Amino acid sequence: MQEATFLILTALAGGSQHGYGIITDVEQISDGRVRLRAGTLYTALDRLRADTLIEVDREEIVDNRLRRYYRLTPPGEKRLADEAARLRANAVVAMSRLNPAGAMR
Amino acid sequence: MTGADGLERRYRRLLRLFPAEYRREHEQEILSVLMAGAAEGRRRPGLADSADLVMSALFIRWREMTRQPRWKWERRHWRLIVRLRVAIGIWLLVVGALVLGAGYWWGVVMALPAALHFYFAYRLRHAVQS
Repeated sequence: MQEATFLILTALAGGSQHGYGIITDVEQISDGRVRLRAGTLYTALDRLRADTLIEVDREEIVDNRLRRYYRLTPPGEKRLADEAARLRANAVVAMSRLNPAGAMR
Repeated sequence: MTGADGLERRYRRLLRLFPAEYRREHEQEILSVLMAGAAEGRRRPGLADSADLVMSALFIRWREMTRQPRWKWERRHWRLIVRLRVAIGIWLLVVGALVLGAGYWWGVVMALPAALHFYFAYRLRHAVQS
């Protein structure tokens, strides 16, 4: 899974969000490293929707502008949990080899 | 006209690069995101945002072009079509090599359509068998 995809799913794990909310949240989660742009974001959302990892939660009109909120589906939650577990397992091994004496804190 | 109107108009022009179906589905919300992310008083789309839209539009069009076989007959006669595409691809490569051998550099250009034929043959075979 690409990092951007992982971060988008993570942003939605906290509750449904609209496009711009996802962008600001992903920026925050990644400590400012990942700044998604509109075209990239919707290419990813479109694919995640086709794979049924996310779905449309609701739509709102704010200041004449459409806000479509997305949320994780149960398969999406599972996929994110699996991916997070995989990343953690890798990180634990890396940390323990870098610092064999102390366990990972 | 205010700066925001001009900016929105320019973004809309860029969004026309996307396929119509994709625009019906996403144009309004993409526009919302672009306008929400635009700095106050901005009149023109930034270079990075524009490049991102152009690349995304190309990617979406490429994805739609290479998706599942769209016609029944393509599915029914897939073996024939795959063989035909491979044959055309090889023929293009041979012609390209002959042109190249005759001393004309532009023979290499033949590799591109050949590669596309190989790719579509591969996609069709993959789609039918999966």
